[in-house]
Amino acid sequence: MKTSRSFYTYLLTTYLSPYRLQVAGLALTLLTSIGLQVFNPQLMRGFIDAAVAGVAQRILIQISLGFIAIALVRQALVLASTYLGETIAWHATNTLRLDLVRHTLHLDLPFHATHTPGELIERVDGDVDALSRFFSQFVIQVLGNGLLVMGILGVLWWEDWRAGLGLSVFAITALGLLSRLQVLAVEPWRVYRQMSAEFYGFVAEHLSGLEDLRANGATGYVRHRLYGILRRWLKAFHRARLTSTALWGGTVGVFTVGNAIALSLGAYLWNQNAITIGTVYLLFYYTTLLQDPIEQIRAELEQFQQAAASLQRIQHLLKQRSQLRASGQTQLPQGALSVAFKEVWFSYQPSLVTRYLSLEQPPYPTTHNPERATLQNLTFRLPPGQVLGLLGHTGSGKSTLARLLLRLYDIQAGQIYLGGVNISQVSPQNLTERIGFVTQDVQLFQTSVRNNLTFFNPHISDGEVLQALEDLGLMPWLIGLPYGLDTELGEDRSGLSAGQAQLLAFARVFLKNPGLVILDEASSRLDPLTEQLIEQGIDRLLHRRTGVIIAHRVQTVMGADQILILEQGKILEYGDRRTLMANPQSHFARLYAHAALANLGQTPLGRISKEIIRDS
Amino acid sequence: MPVRPQSISVPSIWQYLWQMIRYAQRLYWLDTFLWLVITGFPIVPGLLIREFFDSLTQSPEGGTPWLWIGLLLAAGAGRVIAIFVGRITKTQHRFLMSALVRHNLLLGLLQRPGAELATGGINGHATSPGELLSYFREDAEQLEDTVVGTNEILAEAVFAGVSVALMLSVNATITLLVFVPLCAITALVRRAEQRLKRYRHASRQATQQVTGLLGDLFTAVQAIKVAGAETPMLAELKVRCDRRRRQVVRDQVFTALLNAGFDNIVSLGTGLVLLLAASKLGAQGQLTVGEFALFIYYLSFVTYFLGFLGGFLAQTQQCSVSVARMTSLIGTEAAQPGTSPASVPPTSQPSCLTTPYPLYLKPILGSPPPLPKPAGFPPSEPLQELRVEGLTYHYPGSDNGITNISLTLGRGSLTVITGRVGAGKTTLLRVLLGLLPSQAGAIFWNNQPVTDPANQLIPPRVAYTPQVPQFFSTTLRENLLLGLAGSDIPKRLQGAITTAVFDQDVARLPEGLDTRIGTQGVRLSGGQKQRAAAARMLVRQPELLVFDDLSSALDVNTEQRLWERLLGQESASESDQAAAPSTHRLDHPPTCLIVSHRPVVLSQADQVLVLEAGQLLTASSPR
Repeated sequence: MKTSRSFYTYLLTTYLSPYRLQVAGLALTLLTSIGLQVFNPQLMRGFIDAAVAGVAQRILIQISLGFIAIALVRQALVLASTYLGETIAWHATNTLRLDLVRHTLHLDLPFHATHTPGELIERVDGDVDALSRFFSQFVIQVLGNGLLVMGILGVLWWEDWRAGLGLSVFAITALGLLSRLQVLAVEPWRVYRQMSAEFYGFVAEHLSGLEDLRANGATGYVRHRLYGILRRWLKAFHRARLTSTALWGGTVGVFTVGNAIALSLGAYLWNQNAITIGTVYLLFYYTTLLQDPIEQIRAELEQFQQAAASLQRIQHLLKQRSQLRASGQTQLPQGALSVAFKEVWFSYQPSLVTRYLSLEQPPYPTTHNPERATLQNLTFRLPPGQVLGLLGHTGSGKSTLARLLLRLYDIQAGQIYLGGVNISQVSPQNLTERIGFVTQDVQLFQTSVRNNLTFFNPHISDGEVLQALEDLGLMPWLIGLPYGLDTELGEDRSGLSAGQAQLLAFARVFLKNPGLVILDEASSRLDPLTEQLIEQGIDRLLHRRTGVIIAHRVQTVMGADQILILEQGKILEYGDRRTLMANPQSHFARLYAHAALANLGQTPLGRISKEIIRDS
Repeated sequence: MPVRPQSISVPSIWQYLWQMIRYAQRLYWLDTFLWLVITGFPIVPGLLIREFFDSLTQSPEGGTPWLWIGLLLAAGAGRVIAIFVGRITKTQHRFLMSALVRHNLLLGLLQRPGAELATGGINGHATSPGELLSYFREDAEQLEDTVVGTNEILAEAVFAGVSVALMLSVNATITLLVFVPLCAITALVRRAEQRLKRYRHASRQATQQVTGLLGDLFTAVQAIKVAGAETPMLAELKVRCDRRRRQVVRDQVFTALLNAGFDNIVSLGTGLVLLLAASKLGAQGQLTVGEFALFIYYLSFVTYFLGFLGGFLAQTQQCSVSVARMTSLIGTEAAQPGTSPASVPPTSQPSCLTTPYPLYLKPILGSPPPLPKPAGFPPSEPLQELRVEGLTYHYPGSDNGITNISLTLGRGSLTVITGRVGAGKTTLLRVLLGLLPSQAGAIFWNNQPVTDPANQLIPPRVAYTPQVPQFFSTTLRENLLLGLAGSDIPKRLQGAITTAVFDQDVARLPEGLDTRIGTQGVRLSGGQKQRAAAARMLVRQPELLVFDDLSSALDVNTEQRLWERLLGQESASESDQAAAPSTHRLDHPPTCLIVSHRPVVLSQADQVLVLEAGQLLTASSPR
């Protein structure tokens, strides 16, 4: 993939336009510095000439003071350009970072399943870092030094048109060669940046699983994989840096050849008595004068190679589109929401369903294709305010059903209605606002208890947060924390157990006002006693709301109005809970009986639970 | 067990740099030499061009200038070659430096108690994987830059040294003035030291906050989508990005200010030296014009070096911040002498930042050394009895934890720990396994004290399935084996998968064991992850199995089958796979330590331990 020039222009104009004044200031300071670079050696030469000529001490001191003054001015300019450059670069890259994160967050879950958090961190932070010089200095430096080259050539044309012509040809050749060499290293740098992202992805992933790795004696395995990654990373690094060296080696080579040509020409013409020795020297002198600005441009281009590589990766990320179909802007009705599935088909590999449906092949595993669609031809309707108990073996499609309601994935055929509205027409913001979803895996952030509950939303008051914790019986835990709601939390910090984390997830839903609450194995990590305690909380949560309770245990759904049992993506049984219970032939009644049997051996826990209750 | 002492005596930054240099000394000196050549090369064309003009003006035949032009071309070609070779050595050296640091950071973290990262046990505050990335990126790069900086400064120092020697031969008194700016520069660095470090520390801290939140964001994408929390989360990210911008700009501008200070000192010094030299020109006859020109020429080398040196000294101060950050993460102690009894040797030693581990990278010339074979587990003495006495751990800054826990596990017994949410069940397992450092108490394996449980209570002695098992974005097979290799492994793996009631799920995956299971194993359902974790543990055939709430996502049938197969009570007729490999059953009933609330498990327990608020409430033996 090649990055078009228009993308560079787009980035520069989009991200720099709010800082026009600062950019103008930066341009001024940088161009002045470039100008002074030329002036300083002149002053030095003046000093030497004056000293050798034996002029008065006073004049020497004046020249020295001038020298120092210019040095001071240059330092001030360097400081100013550092400040302006860094500020502009950080403002621009931060805006780009946020845009990238926003974009990435909106990508679908299959994208996130194939990109580790560590890799994504490197893509939105590391790749963007490489752009700071591109935003702040690149254009100004290249333009400024380009101007300098033109100035030098202009003076030369004025002094001797032949010398001017010769060196113009030389400068154009040199710059043309550099811009050609510059492109070479972009691809190797892109590969290198990709390796970096892979490395950071590897590191972050294995640090998250530190406990699992250690406890399974797998540290040797991690080191082994690290060696492999380092090897490939080094190879990419060598390739990128070596192709980049073409620029440096190229500049040195071009100037050597240029000098040699200038001197040969000079020597030849001098031998022909066509020019004076002074002109020969002039030719040589100006070739070396051109060296500095062209070297500067070379250094900028070398940095730009990495920026261009990062830009390609950024552009690639921005081009990723969510596979979800566009949503409408319809709002869901207020109050409890009805849920309806109509002939819904879904597979995580969409082609599977479309193929089956178009060819009318049996949508179940055959010897040719062991795959089956995750959900097959699902139809049911849950009236508003009722609670559905969703049962099934692991892998039967229960959680998938919940994800479809939240439009984390799109169905391939059929329709899903919430409160009578097809969810594909509902605005995504409204959909997530109106559905409360608690899963078994609770994600906590490394920040305060408050932020963990409010997702950093400053509009939720402490009173509301405390009320939610109170409702769930989490107040004793909160009181035990050193800084209350301000206590920093994290994956398992402050001794927060996975069970307590699940309670926090309940509290998050309490802080919303959803019309539909989905509990996906939400209480599976709670002990029976705590489960009983928060049942009141759940009842309150489900009051005047529609509920979907996903469970693998019959007891969990005994309060439900309707029961749906899934098996291998199909409805095994669906109906009113009481009716099903009353029919001993129903799967539900048999499941219940089976579970009751298994629980007969529950004496120890029953006894112990009673003891705990007595104690507390 | 005492709490680990925190960096009692921190070695100076120079010691670290020296150890890093020593890691790849031959490469380092070769690289230094090449850079000396590359930076010194421009002198040669200057000399050649003088000869060229002399030859033009002094020999009218004009035969010789071509010789000088030829030599000029040759010198240029030589420099280009030196540049390419120098880049190669520099690349190799740079990579080696940061790779070693990154390797040692990862190894250090792997050898720390595993749950400590998340619980804030390392340096007082908790650190998430996202935050840790800034250590691997910015701090490792800083150390790399500084080590490489030493050989650049060496090259410059050589030129400056030669120049000073030549200048001394011209005029000693004026030359000695050169040392005035040097003293001023070192004094300035010393004054600025604290501030340099403070700003650098703050900017790293701010960076860490950004990468930490990014990590959280990308780990919890689904939760954020579901909560509709994109906007406030992004607002928080913006706040952190802005804070980082302010801190980094302050850090950079201060560094620039300091560099400006160095340059000003140097140019003042130059001005002074030149004035003095000019005053001695001619009149008193102390300096000839030629000597004066020479003086000015060599002075430029010295002044350049001085400016460079100032910048480098400031850089080492900033580097010491990075080193301090990294060592506080993994500790400073070098390899410890083995203090454990012979029967339970620790498998690895704690590492420090610069320990010279081999990295098995391809050298510049030649082929890469063969990677070490992943070591199999050493055979272990069968478990007769595991005894725990008075185990205590409290989370930093809180009362939560466990207090004075004692228990004994006999061979082949099944022990269930139960209790309410937050009672300390998981903490107990973690402390027992060394995933959290115990603050008091002792552990005995067959009556031998276990001093380093983190490295001793691992397979083949003990294996563990955490409550929320973690998986990696590779194939299912690799996730289960985690590097386990051997001829009997495929068979063992099949057995473990069958025992974990995971066989049918594997058969249903699109590519079976070779299916890539995605970031954090997202392609597996909650119940599948739990059984995959059980299989991962079983394939290691440990003496003691430790499960934390294994069956929380399993339905009753699956759970029952799991326990039956695991505890070896399933009769052949019940097995839904008639051809199930016979190896899946262990040859003796395994010793199990299980956290669970499930009646199925509790009813089969030899002893049930009830935890309440971190203390053992009752022990009962239902059997």
